[in-house]
Amino acid sequence: MNPKLLIDPALLIRAFLPIHLSGWGALVRCRFVLRLVACVGLFVLGFSASAAVHRSTNQLWSLKLVVQPVVPTGWTGSTNPIDAFVAAAWKAKGLQPAAKADRLTILRRVTLDLTGLPPTVEEQTAFLQDHRPDAYERVVDRLLAGEQHAVCQARHWLDVLRYADEDEHLDASRGLHHWRDWVIRALHDDVPYDQFVRAQLTGYRSTTRTEMVATGQRHRIEPRPDDLFALGFLARGAVPGDGPESQNLAISAVETVSTAFMGMTVGCAKCHDHMYDPISKRDFYAMKALFDPLVPRRVVLATADQWIARGQAEEIAARGRRRYETEIEELVGPTRRRLYDERVAMLPAEIQIVIRKPERLRTVEEQKIADGYYPILRIDSDKVMDALPEDQRDAYRQLQRKRDEENGKRGPSLPTFWTVERDRARELEKSYILTSGEPDRPEKNHEVGPGWPFAPTTPDFRDGRLEAFSDWLTSPDNPLFARVAVNRLWQWHFGVGLQKTPSDFGELGGIPTHPELLDWLASEFVHSGFSLRAMHRQIVLSETYQLASEMDADGERRNQVVDSDDSFLWRFRLRRLDAEALWDSIHQAAGLLNLAVGGPSFSPGENKPVRRGAYIVRGYSASRDVLPAFLQSFDVDDGRTPCPLRTQTVTAPQALFLMNSPEIQRAADALAARLQPEVPDHAGSAVDLAFQTVIGRLPTDPERNLAMQWIQSDPARLPGFAWMLFNLDEFLYVR
Amino acid sequence: MSADAFPRLGSCLRETVSRRDFLHRAGGGFLGVALGALWAEAGEIPNAVLGPHFRPRAKSVIYLFMCGGVSHIDTFDPKDNKWAGTLMDAVGFGDNQAEMKRPVIPCRRTFTRYGESGTPVSDWFPHVGGVVDDIAVIRSMWCHESNHFPAVIETCTGHQGRQFDHPALGSWVSYALGTSNRNLPAFVNLGRPSSPVQLTGGYLGASVSATPFQLGDTPIPNLHPPKGTLAADRDRQLQILQRLNEDFRSRYQMNTDIAARTKAYELAAGLQLEAPHLIDFSNEPRHILDLYGIGTRETDDFGRQLLLARRLAEQGTRFIQVCHAGGGNGGWDAHGNIESHAPLCRATDKPIAGLIRDLKQRGMLEETLVVWTSEFGRTPWSQNTTGRDHNPRGYTSWMAGGGIQGGIVHGATDDVGYKAVENPHYYSDLHATILHQLGLDHRRMEITSAGRPMRLVEEGFGPIQAILA
Repeated sequence: MNPKLLIDPALLIRAFLPIHLSGWGALVRCRFVLRLVACVGLFVLGFSASAAVHRSTNQLWSLKLVVQPVVPTGWTGSTNPIDAFVAAAWKAKGLQPAAKADRLTILRRVTLDLTGLPPTVEEQTAFLQDHRPDAYERVVDRLLAGEQHAVCQARHWLDVLRYADEDEHLDASRGLHHWRDWVIRALHDDVPYDQFVRAQLTGYRSTTRTEMVATGQRHRIEPRPDDLFALGFLARGAVPGDGPESQNLAISAVETVSTAFMGMTVGCAKCHDHMYDPISKRDFYAMKALFDPLVPRRVVLATADQWIARGQAEEIAARGRRRYETEIEELVGPTRRRLYDERVAMLPAEIQIVIRKPERLRTVEEQKIADGYYPILRIDSDKVMDALPEDQRDAYRQLQRKRDEENGKRGPSLPTFWTVERDRARELEKSYILTSGEPDRPEKNHEVGPGWPFAPTTPDFRDGRLEAFSDWLTSPDNPLFARVAVNRLWQWHFGVGLQKTPSDFGELGGIPTHPELLDWLASEFVHSGFSLRAMHRQIVLSETYQLASEMDADGERRNQVVDSDDSFLWRFRLRRLDAEALWDSIHQAAGLLNLAVGGPSFSPGENKPVRRGAYIVRGYSASRDVLPAFLQSFDVDDGRTPCPLRTQTVTAPQALFLMNSPEIQRAADALAARLQPEVPDHAGSAVDLAFQTVIGRLPTDPERNLAMQWIQSDPARLPGFAWMLFNLDEFLYVR
Repeated sequence: MSADAFPRLGSCLRETVSRRDFLHRAGGGFLGVALGALWAEAGEIPNAVLGPHFRPRAKSVIYLFMCGGVSHIDTFDPKDNKWAGTLMDAVGFGDNQAEMKRPVIPCRRTFTRYGESGTPVSDWFPHVGGVVDDIAVIRSMWCHESNHFPAVIETCTGHQGRQFDHPALGSWVSYALGTSNRNLPAFVNLGRPSSPVQLTGGYLGASVSATPFQLGDTPIPNLHPPKGTLAADRDRQLQILQRLNEDFRSRYQMNTDIAARTKAYELAAGLQLEAPHLIDFSNEPRHILDLYGIGTRETDDFGRQLLLARRLAEQGTRFIQVCHAGGGNGGWDAHGNIESHAPLCRATDKPIAGLIRDLKQRGMLEETLVVWTSEFGRTPWSQNTTGRDHNPRGYTSWMAGGGIQGGIVHGATDDVGYKAVENPHYYSDLHATILHQLGLDHRRMEITSAGRPMRLVEEGFGPIQAILA
């Protein structure tokens, strides 16, 4: 072999390697949040051994009660306690913070952050002209009150709660967008977080679910009707039926609930050597037993008239089909029977006897055998076709087609939503540890009752298993519940959580960068009555949030020595737009974005109305691509596992999308059309307008000159200019 | 379209703008200090994984995946028909896979011993028979899963199920070796796969996943500027874009993401330049096209894919996966009638042989590993049809070139052709062998995250030593 042709290490250029947001990116890639279905040995990492060890010593920080820490004083002029904690850390580490960012940078940052949309030109002008001391606060309140804020935040939550329109285990997917809409409404109404979680676990917001009536009887209170849709969260993992897959609901629920609300990452012992932090399998299956009684139930969301019309249409279709079926039978019946008889004749004699027996004469055992042979003895229409004389095949084909056409007369199917309900029979069944996590291999000698890690010794199950669990989970005293939630909000604003592994508050997750700040936020969250909106407000109003993302090179270098990945927030972290925010920003700038809230998902395509990116279809199938290429290339997860933090890659397909995709061309044309009235007479103002629309600021003089050089007062050159703006680094990044 | 407007920017740019300028402009000429940081970032890959670990025998892999399960009995693993007509089931083999008896169906093929080695090949693969002296046939492959999607997932990721989002084999290769051609991705897929999982970078990230190339004018989505784009205009736009980006890039020059974005634009530009050239076969002489069966209806499609595969290998693409008859369960899924293999064999036989001959005459076969495989084989018995059922217990894969010993047969299935009994190899052994030829130690293909080691190879014996040259 010619050695020159061998791989030259110097050529090992890793152009395709993932570049993470920061150095620890690999540790928290969302996909590492592992699924546990069908693993040998199930372990809840983090809590487990720690639980065993720390239950006595209470060492693990995340399990300690949240006690509101004293706010440090003297390090900052800000009255926001967040700044006090952050500044104290700067002082301790010898870090110099960046200056405050300029107003338009902050406006674009906070608008994209809270709503996923760029600020309009009018909003920019208004903010610049508002010299009142509370101008920024007013902007924040305006953004928080808008419904687009809820759409944007719902997207974050739905990543964690693994929303998907389609999944291999998602038979109960029809109408699932009603759950997404429920989440959006709940966030818009600022439903307290404890209620938000309880509703999705039990269908009740309140912990009071029964009441006494005058006769001295206890009654179940009717839940709020629209909270039915909250239960889409549990139905999402459900496979209807009685087979082993029906346990999928409970397994998915444990996996999602434990990571999303408790910050416990569930893993699989088969796949790693380090057997640390094992929680007993018993703990895991006890938690599964909470969900074991649940079964999915289909709810038809139709009026009486729609039911009636559908019934009539089905009858008509069935009648039509029957007519052709009779004709088909006359044509191919003999052939089909001959093929069947031939196949039966190939079977062992004792089996033939069973098959030839009329069904009602078969014993239970015999029926089982007959059922087992059904797939082999089934004569499909293509086999019949092959066996038919040539001159009859056309007639057969036509009859089949006509019969199938009759199905069209059934009309549209009735709108459906899948919820869950408690099944009385299942509630009486025992729950077991599963061998290798396989639903059809229960260990009958290892029975488990409902429970959860850190549960009280005798939980009160009178209202129901999940009711007991959710009351414990959402209690103001649960140290995990509030800490995990506020840390997620923090991460959504700063790109990285105070605890860097947002779904792993266990031994392996490490400790937070600012433990006291996290606790202060958690206790504040509880005191505010679990108001998510108040927490967002607290965070984005801090001076820390308003720091510039850049600083002088010397200062930066000095800070880098101490804290290379900006863990201590000495500047704002430059962030790539998420796929949805990018989608929205492109189409908003082009004036093409439809901001309607709610409804089913859509697949992007030409000549289709452009809805917000949050509504682009997502999911997974083993056999075909569900997730559109755009979402894939910009790191959207397929919803199979909870995704607490998206990977952020920078790749060539992303660049090709921005350079050459039809979406960019369409948006560039549309933006050019918006600018056209200004050209040729006011090309300068067209350039200004375009910069403001796309990147939220006016151009500098050199930038304006470059743009003017290109446009040359020719409106036909405007799309090319718009293209440049969509390809700017500054467009793709939030400063 | 006007004379100076063109659908393909790349080919025209070659004439109007120098390549170096174009790349420079697309990337924004940002190859200074910041790239240092980018390479440092690349160092995030655990050193143990970074290859090559030892002297590689192969530079590239062309991995031919026949979707749906090829019958080994009717192709490379001849059995006499003494069991034909007997009712059998898997239970007799100590295996409870199938619980009912089915009739063994006869093999209608005739086998010929080809070449000096005399390796028998059926009359469905006469051309491949002609190059069999370069091929090591492994007749004793097995895997766990007996249905298409699970088996496809198992054979491409080395793991059962999708609970961990394991990446495909090609992604591991891409991750460990990177690309040797800055203008091309390291892992390319041709043809329609059975499952998107065959393309996934999984937890290694989107950047190492397969870049699918399609035949035709647009091998990669968004590769070409929209119709009507003028090359001179686009070039000028890139120049202005670079200057508009300058200020931002100098402010954030320490940011690795921004440096990576420069790289991404360079690679995108590289693809625009390289890809149209790759798919333009006009400079291939007629006798080469004939070798692949290009121009003959039956073999044209697959022939073109394999010629493109060779051209990609020539340009330094590490891992070229070619999926044949993919989509759904896969075209090779011959339950109803095993004769449905015949047209698929005709479509692939000549192109495959042509690929091996072509690589050989160019002196490329030594450093290009060609692998032919399927997710599983097919049973000796039918489901009361004239076709064969899925059989993961024993089947055939073969390899050629890239330091593999030609003209040998390794391992064996039992008398009937059901189970691998002599030198059985779990599918991961094939992965380990491929890695080994690329200079990668499968035991080092492991990354740890949040305390969990993730590996490509979990089971098996490692590289199949007996077939290495």
